[in-house]
Amino acid sequence: MAALLPSLPALADGKLVDKVYDPYVEYQETEIEWRAVRTRDTDEEELNGLWQHHFSVGYGFSEHWFGEIYAIGEKRPGEGFDIEAAELEAKWQLSEQGEYSADWGMLFELERKYEENQWEAAATVLVAKEWGRWTGTGNFALIYEWGREEDEFETEFRGQIRYRYTEKFEPAVELYAAEDLLGIGPVALGAWRLGEGRQFRWEAGLIFGITDESPDQSLRLLWEYEFF
Amino acid sequence: MKTWFRNLAIVIIAGLALASALPVNAAYPELQLEIRDHLFYPSVLKVPANTKIKLIVVNRDATPEEFESYELNREKVIMGGQKAVIFIGPLAPGEYPFFGEFNPKTAQGKVIAE
Repeated sequence: MAALLPSLPALADGKLVDKVYDPYVEYQETEIEWRAVRTRDTDEEELNGLWQHHFSVGYGFSEHWFGEIYAIGEKRPGEGFDIEAAELEAKWQLSEQGEYSADWGMLFELERKYEENQWEAAATVLVAKEWGRWTGTGNFALIYEWGREEDEFETEFRGQIRYRYTEKFEPAVELYAAEDLLGIGPVALGAWRLGEGRQFRWEAGLIFGITDESPDQSLRLLWEYEFF
Repeated sequence: MKTWFRNLAIVIIAGLALASALPVNAAYPELQLEIRDHLFYPSVLKVPANTKIKLIVVNRDATPEEFESYELNREKVIMGGQKAVIFIGPLAPGEYPFFGEFNPKTAQGKVIAE
């Protein structure tokens, strides 16, 4: 694990919460996104005050494909902020929303960590299901890492149960299970319409680690501006 | 957490989710909705309650429009001169407003489930 090797920059892989992806694509929509995770952990100094930031631009190339490019940076306790990785992402909407008993999609990711000369590729099944005002979303990821560190496969699960209370405020609970993370906690989401195809979306949550190796708490934030 | 146990659990959960949501090729009642001059025709759609509906939205305008409804939990862009399929419901009896995201002042309508 990178976090245990002092010679490697410890991009806290497999320990950080991310976000839960829905399987839907909006044709010709552009998204500009910032999302961040801040961890707190009294047992592990490197995680106690770590910030990881994602900056991205995405576009709906067709009714079924959405592409996004990311810059990923971290600020570790006592250090400055550095951009450490870049990522390409493609989302593929497989079924029309509501067509079947659940909605399906796939997410493909390719990430390069510069300093570590480390690569990561992931294929994730995205599934969402509605029960009236409740929506359940699951992401099942198969990840392959290669490069300077030992090559390995990993799996990851991200899940969310959301109540569609109002457009501006939706409470949810999220569960994350990854290499060194098992966490659950409350999340809130919302959107503000700005008119004529423009909207601002936000998400905020606090995920509590259940196992010793998980960060004690992970604060996650997301802002996204969407327009056509 | 043991890695093999976590991996096994995730694969089992994924398999169960897939098995519980396999496509069922059911025939749903179809309704057509047109967009003309940034208006919906008809602007009121009556549908049977508790039934899934296949809504075919035809955009007669040259410009794109987005069918949008928080109440129906649907948003879908329909390019100019194209059509799109939107599945809605099953809906509890009631009214469900929708609008055109690109022309929200004119393109408005509602689905009435009864």
